[in-house]
Amino acid sequence: MRGTVEGAPAIWKRITGLLLLLAAVLVFVSKDAFLYSDTIVKVMSVENTFAFSNQGPNEEEEQYYEQAIEGRILNGADIGAVISLSNTYSSSGVNDERYRKGDQLFVTISKGNGTGMIIGKKRDVYLVLLIGMFLFALFVINRWQGGIIFVSLIINIGIFLIALMCYGQGGNLIRISMLLMMVFSVLTLLFAGGFHKKTAVAIVSTLFTTLLCYFIYEIVLHTSDRLPYEMMDYVVNPTDLSDLFFAGVLMGSLGAIMDVCISIAAGVSEIMIQTPDIGRKPLVRSIREMGYDIMGTMINVLFFTYISGSLPILVIKIKNSYTLYHLIQFQSIFEIIRFLMGAIGIVLAIPVSGMCSVLILHSRRFEDGNMVKEQK
Amino acid sequence: MILKLFIILFFLMLLVGGNRGLDSFLALVRTIFAFVLNVYFIAWGMPPVVTTFLVSIFFVITVLYFQNGRNIKMHAAALSVMIIVLFIMVTAGPVLWKAGVSGYNEIEQYEEISMYLSADLSISMSAVSLSAVVLGLLGAVMDTAVAITTAVHEVYVNQPALGEKQLIRSGLAVGKDILGTTVNTLFFAGLGESIMLAVLFMRNEDTFASILNSKALFQEVSGLIIGAIGCLLIIPVSSVMMAYFLMNSEKKE
Repeated sequence: MRGTVEGAPAIWKRITGLLLLLAAVLVFVSKDAFLYSDTIVKVMSVENTFAFSNQGPNEEEEQYYEQAIEGRILNGADIGAVISLSNTYSSSGVNDERYRKGDQLFVTISKGNGTGMIIGKKRDVYLVLLIGMFLFALFVINRWQGGIIFVSLIINIGIFLIALMCYGQGGNLIRISMLLMMVFSVLTLLFAGGFHKKTAVAIVSTLFTTLLCYFIYEIVLHTSDRLPYEMMDYVVNPTDLSDLFFAGVLMGSLGAIMDVCISIAAGVSEIMIQTPDIGRKPLVRSIREMGYDIMGTMINVLFFTYISGSLPILVIKIKNSYTLYHLIQFQSIFEIIRFLMGAIGIVLAIPVSGMCSVLILHSRRFEDGNMVKEQK
Repeated sequence: MILKLFIILFFLMLLVGGNRGLDSFLALVRTIFAFVLNVYFIAWGMPPVVTTFLVSIFFVITVLYFQNGRNIKMHAAALSVMIIVLFIMVTAGPVLWKAGVSGYNEIEQYEEISMYLSADLSISMSAVSLSAVVLGLLGAVMDTAVAITTAVHEVYVNQPALGEKQLIRSGLAVGKDILGTTVNTLFFAGLGESIMLAVLFMRNEDTFASILNSKALFQEVSGLIIGAIGCLLIIPVSSVMMAYFLMNSEKKE
């Protein structure tokens, strides 16, 4: 380990270099208005005045404010011109937005009178800032391994977009997502584990577990009431909502399943290296032990990742006096199903990957062992 | 359907995990209960960020201590997680606030449901959004923290002669190994969630520029990225924390 650890000056050099790069990119993105064809206005000054207050469903007072905004146009034919805009916002900001000095807004200009309509905020800077911070932390902590993670993410996103386009051109959704699932697991696990027997174990057990999840989902789906797909967050096309949702469910579980499978496979192969002549029974016991440790925490990860996203809409609906039953049955049902399927995938992945590890890694050991003995 | 899946999950956990599977299941029930309480507290008008911070402490304590026992490893993990939660609240809060992620996005605004829900709630939706992000990263950060403190402790038990620096170093090495798979878990969970949105963008033939600047994309992606950042930051924090705890407890003995 020691040889690979660099001295403190090198770390600081890398941190400063990355920070400078990040700053340069941010400055560029904040000044990239000339790349856009839509008109962008930078807010120069804002004047807020209290407009009126509304009574909420539980007799709360909600304050509404008018904003008179002066802004400068940053691109297009009228570059440099000053424009005045108006906006209304509420103190909760459920359905509206408050703009502040320095914000950049997309605007459609009304001809002739120096006013316009606000379409929305320019958010690319913040998106780049978050991604930049992630990459910064990734490269500082992880160096080249960080690069590998980054490349695998980029490739996966690329494949996802290609699959999306195939689907857009009328491809069969279920067939595409099956194929996608296979490509994802092979690629991601190869990136994570390298060309190694344990990677093969992880791939086989991931695919097998996903298949099991698929059957469980189909069986439960067809023996239950129809899901209220029209309540889904982004309703697209009524005909294939169930397939789309299903593809999302499987893909969401895939990451967690892969995580469990590679952990178990790596653990078993580590045990095989440490104690090559371990019997099958103690090996199975260690796999169970690893399984216990993984199960609880991984299920927690999925719970928080999936369910927390619906916090805002839950709060809005509770305020509008919806019952808990309604929230579970209609509002959050899709998040809950996603989470439950992911959790089932995690739990299934433990025995499946354990079995695959024992079958592939453990039986191989005997062949190798015999060969060694013969050579001696 | 939810009930059926829940029952299937229960039996599978029991089958695979035995008694400890049952423990994990009960922990899950507690977590769900606490989350629902958190939502109601916010809806009843308590300040969202403060409530979420308190509930996070509860989560950390129940998940870490009940599932793994009260010991030095969990003290270090719990403290590191709380540091990260505070740090994310302080740093990510302003970014989310400036970017305007709260409330309905462009697509939800035109959906039927938002038309007849009252928007006069007198609850700051930006604070609610921040709460959602903080809760979202909690699971993954706790997972990573426990893995690292346990590993560092293991190293220390096997080689008690190691100094603080070496312990930190081994913590970082373990962290690097876990990181890839954790980021993958988050990534695929996010990808699965955003399929609908992606298809919608495609059907609407939105331009790249409008997608890039949309609130919908930002809402979808920001929680994920901040979660990943939390997972990265917890690696050095929990390594240092565990090494420090080990060194100091040794002195007491």
